[in-house]
Amino acid sequence: MKKIASLILFLGLVLSAAAQNVTVKGVVQDSTGEPIIGAFVVQQGTNNGTMTGVDGDFVLNTPQGAKIEVSCIGYTTQVIVNNGEQNLVIVLPDDTQMLEETVVIGYGVQKKSVVTASIAKVDADALGVTSPSRVDNALKGLTAGVQVTASSGQPGAASRIRIRGIGTINDSNPLYIVDGMPMGIDGIDYLNPQDIESIEVLKDAAAGAVYGARAANGVILVTTKKGVKGKARFNYDFSYGWSSPWREREVLNATEYALMNNEGRINAGMAPAYADPYSYGEGTDWQKQVFNYNAPSQSHEVSVSGATDRVNYYLSLGYLKQDGIVGGQFGRSNYDRLTLRSNNSYTLLDRTKERNWLNSIVLTSQLSYANIHSKGVAENSQWGSPLGSALALSPILGVYATEEDLANYETIYAGQTLVEDENGVFMIPGMDYNEMVNPVASMHLPANQNWTHKFTAGFSGEIQIWDNLKFKSSIGFDLGFWGNEGYTPLFYLSGNNKAENSNANAYSAQSFSWQLENVLSYNKTIGKHSFSALLGQSAFRSKGQQVGGSRMDLPEDKYSKPYIDNATGLQEDGRMSVYGSYYTEHRLASYFARADYNYDERYMGQVTLRMDGSSRFGANNKWGYFPSFSLGWNIHKEPYMVDVIPSWLSNAKLRFSWGMNGNENIGDFRYTVMTARGNNYIFGQNESVAQGVKSSGLANPDLRWEESIQTNVGLDLGFMANALTFTIEWYKKRTNGMLMEIPINSYVGESRPIGNVGIMDNTGVEMELSYKFNLGPVDFRVGGNGTWLKNTLINLGNDSGFQNYDSFQGAGTASRAENGYPFVFFYGYKTDGIFQNQAEIDAYVNKDGEKLMPNAVPGDVRFVDANEDGKFNDDDRTYIGDGTPDFTWGINLAANWNGIDFYMLWQGTAGNDVLDLTRRIDISQSNLPSYMLNRWTGEGTSNRLPRYVRGDSVNWQLSDLYVYDGSYGRLKTLQLGYTLPEKLTKKILISSLRLYVSAENLLTLTKYHGYDPEISSGGTSLGIDYGVYPQPRTFRVGLNLKF
Amino acid sequence: MDMKKNFVLALTAAAVILSACGKEFLTVEHPTESPLEEYFTTPEHLQEAVIAAYDPLEWFDWNDSQYTPLNIMSDIMADQIWVGGSDRSDNKFWHLMMNFEALPTDTMSGLWSSCYSGIKRCNDVITYIGWTKDNGLSEADAKLAEAQVRILRAFYYNILWKFYGNIPYYEVNLTGDFTCQQFPADEVYDKIIADLEGAIALDALPMKWTGDDQGRVSKAMAYMLYAELTMYKNDESRLPTALNYMKDIIAADYALLPDYGIVFKEEGEWGKETIFDINYKDDNAIRGWSPANNPLAAGGTILPRMISPNGWSGDSIHDNGWGFAPVRQSTYDMYAANDARRDATCWNVGAGNGYSPRYQDTGVFLEKYIAYKANNAEQLADADLNFNNNLRIYRYSETLLNAAELVVRGYGSGDAEGWLNQVHSRATGENVALSLENIKKERELEFVGEGKRYWDLVRWESDSDDIKASKVLVPDEFGYRTNSWTASKKYLPIPQSEIDSAKGKTYELTQNNY
Repeated sequence: MKKIASLILFLGLVLSAAAQNVTVKGVVQDSTGEPIIGAFVVQQGTNNGTMTGVDGDFVLNTPQGAKIEVSCIGYTTQVIVNNGEQNLVIVLPDDTQMLEETVVIGYGVQKKSVVTASIAKVDADALGVTSPSRVDNALKGLTAGVQVTASSGQPGAASRIRIRGIGTINDSNPLYIVDGMPMGIDGIDYLNPQDIESIEVLKDAAAGAVYGARAANGVILVTTKKGVKGKARFNYDFSYGWSSPWREREVLNATEYALMNNEGRINAGMAPAYADPYSYGEGTDWQKQVFNYNAPSQSHEVSVSGATDRVNYYLSLGYLKQDGIVGGQFGRSNYDRLTLRSNNSYTLLDRTKERNWLNSIVLTSQLSYANIHSKGVAENSQWGSPLGSALALSPILGVYATEEDLANYETIYAGQTLVEDENGVFMIPGMDYNEMVNPVASMHLPANQNWTHKFTAGFSGEIQIWDNLKFKSSIGFDLGFWGNEGYTPLFYLSGNNKAENSNANAYSAQSFSWQLENVLSYNKTIGKHSFSALLGQSAFRSKGQQVGGSRMDLPEDKYSKPYIDNATGLQEDGRMSVYGSYYTEHRLASYFARADYNYDERYMGQVTLRMDGSSRFGANNKWGYFPSFSLGWNIHKEPYMVDVIPSWLSNAKLRFSWGMNGNENIGDFRYTVMTARGNNYIFGQNESVAQGVKSSGLANPDLRWEESIQTNVGLDLGFMANALTFTIEWYKKRTNGMLMEIPINSYVGESRPIGNVGIMDNTGVEMELSYKFNLGPVDFRVGGNGTWLKNTLINLGNDSGFQNYDSFQGAGTASRAENGYPFVFFYGYKTDGIFQNQAEIDAYVNKDGEKLMPNAVPGDVRFVDANEDGKFNDDDRTYIGDGTPDFTWGINLAANWNGIDFYMLWQGTAGNDVLDLTRRIDISQSNLPSYMLNRWTGEGTSNRLPRYVRGDSVNWQLSDLYVYDGSYGRLKTLQLGYTLPEKLTKKILISSLRLYVSAENLLTLTKYHGYDPEISSGGTSLGIDYGVYPQPRTFRVGLNLKF
Repeated sequence: MDMKKNFVLALTAAAVILSACGKEFLTVEHPTESPLEEYFTTPEHLQEAVIAAYDPLEWFDWNDSQYTPLNIMSDIMADQIWVGGSDRSDNKFWHLMMNFEALPTDTMSGLWSSCYSGIKRCNDVITYIGWTKDNGLSEADAKLAEAQVRILRAFYYNILWKFYGNIPYYEVNLTGDFTCQQFPADEVYDKIIADLEGAIALDALPMKWTGDDQGRVSKAMAYMLYAELTMYKNDESRLPTALNYMKDIIAADYALLPDYGIVFKEEGEWGKETIFDINYKDDNAIRGWSPANNPLAAGGTILPRMISPNGWSGDSIHDNGWGFAPVRQSTYDMYAANDARRDATCWNVGAGNGYSPRYQDTGVFLEKYIAYKANNAEQLADADLNFNNNLRIYRYSETLLNAAELVVRGYGSGDAEGWLNQVHSRATGENVALSLENIKKERELEFVGEGKRYWDLVRWESDSDDIKASKVLVPDEFGYRTNSWTASKKYLPIPQSEIDSAKGKTYELTQNNY
């Protein structure tokens, strides 16, 4: 293998020889004396070089005394000085760096070569290139087993992360631990991805076990940056970008709309409405009115870092500002974030060279602050979001009201405050469109301003006690303030979207958490036996409070100062309201222990036990125990294998793990009953409300964590000194005791208590591949990963075995969970083409010869009697698809050549469906997707799309006609950079200056016709498109400056 | 070495302290609510628990999953109104009940769960009385609370017993696997009546509440409930007592309002004729559709919205509705032209006049609860759910007609003719002769849309005349009702989900033979 590679490389190499030089001759060997073929022998800083031949030999001319670099992938590079020697033997030691690579595990780090659990790592290099705005986006496409689905293209929107599938019908979010401190899913917004050194994803139960009751849905460990020994490094990164939607949906233009509308009316037995459809031309492109093209974004990042023997420091300041592609032009859908970070450590005592007890004390402090502002627009909603309305409104309607309209409005909307801007009053679509409103008008209304301040602080001290016995004590704080403020002016968009009272409102909340941890660790190597042990204790507490209020009657001249104090409503008139209280405290007390053993790095074993007590668990189950173990075998290290395995196989490790984790995110006080207020009754002629209090429900003192048990088998392979690595893993994960209402009789007279009753299975295969190689002077790095996943809800735990989730206006239930199916699937009828003529309708009979759809007419959909009971009715609704991909993948390619760097990242999914619910069928006047032009208009015209009838609720019942293939492949990142030559930049005291251009979402390959095939809003709406806020295509220019 | 020792000591100490603190550390206080055993120990808090026991009365119209207005639920099974709505699939279980073909999988479950919620809360109050007695609760207040919740409990059970018959009955809240023995309808009756008699024997309630206490169960309300139960059961041994109770009410401070036309108007609420209403209001009412607004909050009712003409644009006084419970033309026609009750009961709009006709349209709507814009004008949440019309449960005219009927049936003496004619002459200015048939006729005219008719027809089944369920509740000329009432239709199917939930547990449920 190596030989072939060398020959290819050899052919591709251009050699340049210099005259009047000293010639050096020699051979290059590895540490066992074998010749290394295809090693580079290059004069430093020049293109003058050669490659070793089949005997490892080389000849090179250089000036006397020139430095010559000898390198080969998989070996450590050596530098020699050319003194004209003729029989030089250069030995390149194995490059063990790859194997020495470490990964962060809970409460420690571990050499990658002895890791036995399943842990994926994304390092700063990978994060640096994609320059994500949020940590969760950063993981996309980079690791197997981690499914990241953007919930929206709205700036600052969180992604939905699922590690190894949807673990529970309840909260399936992973646990985030940032520098040892746990953060909620909403809490990682504050992190500047540029500050991150590495992200480790603990995927299997053995890896997560040290986080016990919180690890069932996987753990994401984030480690922030430190200084590197040496002089201070200054770093400045800047980028500026332009974002636009990458696609518009195809809908009818005004002429097509009028024609179709007429046809629909005629088919419904009504008179056509538009006498001259062709007079309307193209009409209004509502999508163009709503989208914001070339929405700007920019980021600045300054950091200073460095380290001496005593002090290590990293300081950074970041600023990000982003406008959305929907509403950004109207001051809505904006996001900006300021972040500050200071990571320092101080070596107070270092006597490691003098004694083996109490010889070192290191203190660490990590401080961060973030300030975030955002405004949003409604998204992925069937109830009149800007995009939803843009798709629904007739293209015949204009953005602004005509003179004729205005004359009508004076009577129809007398006394209402119509929305207007400097160009006039906005058109009002009216009752025909139900919740759909003029989207441009709606975006002219003010949005609530959301704000966040977040401080985190972590302090730790590590002290060496004796030998390798260390004690580390750490305390972390997380202080957050957030809220929003806004006002509602008087406005009228539609009959059910209007404000007849103005108001000002504000809300603010704060939370404070702390965590105290003490960990004792010891490791020792005696001969070939290495072992380590860890014993720790952790306590966590989180509390918070909120207060908010609103007050009606904000005078119009105070809209610019829309504060509660400027409103005039009185409390005694019910025109002012306040609310506020503490949040329920959350506390955790934990003890954990871990032991590792390996023999000669050949046989590895690890055992972990965590014991968690939580304020959320019932009185009978205050404490949970979470054990795990894992085993590993480095096959290539077996002495007897040395002769058996070929030399190009450099690493072969087999891993097995088993463990049990918990999910403690089960809500507060669900195990007990408390008083419940607001069970009031009205007495007397004065109709005074008497306050009633009852018990809040039925207690379940047995309530406990959801429990997941996972088995993992993995194989790691390395080839050609680990230039090529391949990992494959299989797992099976079962979640027991998912929380669901216990199916007791409703005659108990109380809402059903929550119990641990459901079961969910996830099983999957994950693969990761990476290959580093050179083609001449060009370095390449290729990585790929793929995940196959199968999710099955075994038992929902309720009495019916199913539960309906999403619904679509006019079509009913859209998604459902049911035993034996993937968790949340699309639920509707199956169809079997279109009835082309009456004969087909007559022939569509059950086994008794009765017509299944006697009322159908030619051009109607032929629905399938799915349960084969000889009747077509509600009971024939069934599984028609689901939004969970069978397969997710990512491929990245990086190349470097002479200061030019190139990077691209592709990622995608396969086997997921999209339910396209963007057309409200109950709104007869709604515009139509262009595909409706291919409807059935006569025998043989279409066998998929039914005839168009106005008010047709039969053909468009929820069915597989709404389901589309949601598979996609996307060029997520494409980047080209150039680092100016050092000799040029040195003159202006700059050590490195890199300029780059990049594109995000440049290319998306998908069969789906919607804005974006990637759809996730809310836990159960995966793949349901109500008019999703698409991810933008962004072009960016930037620079990295170091000095 | 000393330092090392100290360290180990400190560590051990820390570990010991931490684990000792564990239990306390893991116990957190609820930020706004209290544990029951702490809270329900004062007279004020006990009073709040009593209020909560009344609360489910307001859910009969909409319990957040089904529309089950108490009056309409029995009236659709009688002969005076239709079901209406958009078609037979709109509130399908109403249509099935109307045609005596209710399905266990699609039957009325709203009253089932609302009534049991009330029962559970009543039982809790009795527990809380025990907790509060040591904390200064007077004997009188304890009795007052107990009497209220036991009568309420009997009221809730009465509804369940009449609709479902063979039901689980408990007076102490369930634990364990939360199942309860199901009793035959006759035994259920025995338990309800015994509990009611016990509550009446406490003698803790006034005959009539005044001021801000109006709407609480009173002695008169308990007597009316007693009469309803015993008359429906034809419990001959207790009917003399029922008559005496009626006479007690007649002797008390109750009277008919002079004008039938205002009995169902806002000004008629809490007048002399009112014995028991479920109180609804619109001023600042906050009942809302979304869970955030609380669909079960105390506020208004949705009944007027449901029964008013769809897409109403005929005038600006009435409000739009959904077209349920259209009044049968025959109901309108049964009134004499001079009977004030005709137009107070029927709003005869004329088919399609100013509205979009819906299923089973007659052009006649139930005026008693029709939607007026003024009746939800002051609400603050969802207009649909916040009409202020009280639901009339017991009116004094029923007392008079009960008393007259009991005398005619021979359970005692009294001015039966006078009582009957108080009712009749108020509406018509005329008198009628005293006869059982005229009393039956009077009830038919007096209580349209009030949820009385169906039960009357059922309890008159043993009479020799033809005014009885099996003769009246038969297929109609329009083809809407194709089945006839039979004795087996007396009890609705128990919701299938309840049967399923009980499977394999301590007490299973047996389905009614519907």
